[in-house]
Amino acid sequence: MMYHESIIELNGISVRKAKGLLLGGISLNVSRNEFVGIIGPNGAGKTTLLNVIAGLERFEGTLGLFGRRESWRRSRDTRVRIGYVPQLFQIDPAFPILASEAVMTGAIGRLGLFRSPGRQEKEDAMRLMDMMRLTHLAERPLGLLSGGERQKVSLARAILQQPDILLMDEPTANLDIAVQKEVLNLIDEIHKQEALTFLFVTHDFNMLPSAMRRAVLLDHGKKVFDGDINTALSGDRLSRLFRYPLETFERNGRRFVSYG
Amino acid sequence: MAEHLLEALTYPPIQRAAIACVLCGASCSLLSVFVVLMKMPLIGVSMSHAAFAGAVLGLLFDFNPFLSGFILCLLVAGVLGPLSDRTDMSPENMLGIMFSFLMGLAFLGMGILTRTKAGALNLMWGSLLSLSGSDIWILTIITSLLVLFVFLFFKEIRSVMFNRRLAAASGVPERMIYYALLFLTGAVVSSNLATVGGLLIFALLVQPGATALQLTYNLEHFFLISAASGIGACVSGLVVSYIFDLPSGASVVLMATTIFAVAYTFSPKRRSAILKGRNKFYENDAR
Repeated sequence: MMYHESIIELNGISVRKAKGLLLGGISLNVSRNEFVGIIGPNGAGKTTLLNVIAGLERFEGTLGLFGRRESWRRSRDTRVRIGYVPQLFQIDPAFPILASEAVMTGAIGRLGLFRSPGRQEKEDAMRLMDMMRLTHLAERPLGLLSGGERQKVSLARAILQQPDILLMDEPTANLDIAVQKEVLNLIDEIHKQEALTFLFVTHDFNMLPSAMRRAVLLDHGKKVFDGDINTALSGDRLSRLFRYPLETFERNGRRFVSYG
Repeated sequence: MAEHLLEALTYPPIQRAAIACVLCGASCSLLSVFVVLMKMPLIGVSMSHAAFAGAVLGLLFDFNPFLSGFILCLLVAGVLGPLSDRTDMSPENMLGIMFSFLMGLAFLGMGILTRTKAGALNLMWGSLLSLSGSDIWILTIITSLLVLFVFLFFKEIRSVMFNRRLAAASGVPERMIYYALLFLTGAVVSSNLATVGGLLIFALLVQPGATALQLTYNLEHFFLISAASGIGACVSGLVVSYIFDLPSGASVVLMATTIFAVAYTFSPKRRSAILKGRNKFYENDAR
């Protein structure tokens, strides 16, 4: 029964590189429509974990996606079902792509070769840009947008792909607090509207989407905790994980971390 | 002057040179869009030197220089492609090693080549006036393949140029596009050894794309502007070299640089980006 509910199944996943072991035997099951936070310090293997699931990294161990075993080489159909929102990345301000065109790149893999985006894709892109409050920026070059605006473009792009799983790698890192909150609220909104399974990588425990109920804590490529988010956010546990004294307090039924 | 030029165009070698100029400008400048936007100038350098070294070896062993250049290009592409897929090592050093190795190979070949050094020197800076009919055919076919590639896979190309990893993750055949591009790079540089040569071709692999980068945010226009400036540089370079009796390859490269300098000076993008940066705070307040 559990088997059929799991949309992502990692079993003893390891990733080895010249600089060492990035992931050391991670096992993890994620069910459909779950919202899971992947939390840990720098170098814990959070991004590597997402890359394994996205098919961008070679790995040892077994990975099941949608009930099928997959390697890092995989079919277009499988790739299309997994969306990816990366950390804010640099783009040459002169790069010839408009915000609306960047959003549309999300539909290219799904459409396949020799098929252009049709009216349906354009309408979907418009709707998503409206949801992200980007409509007035649609015809602006992407490189001239602010970091927050570019992250909202990345979100719209990933959703236009119509994935079943959405992987997010610190989507709010390097953004102003107000913009971080805006992006998190949009992520919550997406979670309410679309039946998606979310994996959200972060090292900032005070900027979490409210939909995130489960947390997986990673340290040195190993899973050190997997369970309820409020249990995960204990002062002792986080102090050990981040090697820094941290305290937690509760407000409105959620735990927050004080950096002391 | 114009009559003089038109009269020159009645001679078959000049006709071939004129046609080759257009084809060379078109093929190199279309490729330069990729070189500039995907930030792969070092790959362009290595490939052009591979073509040069291969062709010199071809002369040495009495083998068709275009084919031997192309084969060495493909070998280099076969090493460079997988290298760029690996995230755990920086490809710059490897490219540097490859580039100097190929240069060494080419000069070694030239040193051994006792019979005629002129052939090897032509491969270095091209010889527009001594092209054969088959040179023109090869150029025509390869330029057409490149144009076809851009037309058929335009939307995939846009998404791969934007971000290779995101494209790959979202089901775009990123590796297919990338390897096709390496293959076409090899074909374009080795077929243009005869026109501008293995050393000067690099200017045409960067400057047309860099010129377009100054002028547009639209990728379709980007390809067109790049092609126009590449063809413009080649044709005007040939005319200048004919009128003033100058080396054709050098004239073409200097024209390409001039076109780039003009585009840079009058770039509306650069100016609007500066203005936008200054006005950004006001815009945000107004909202």
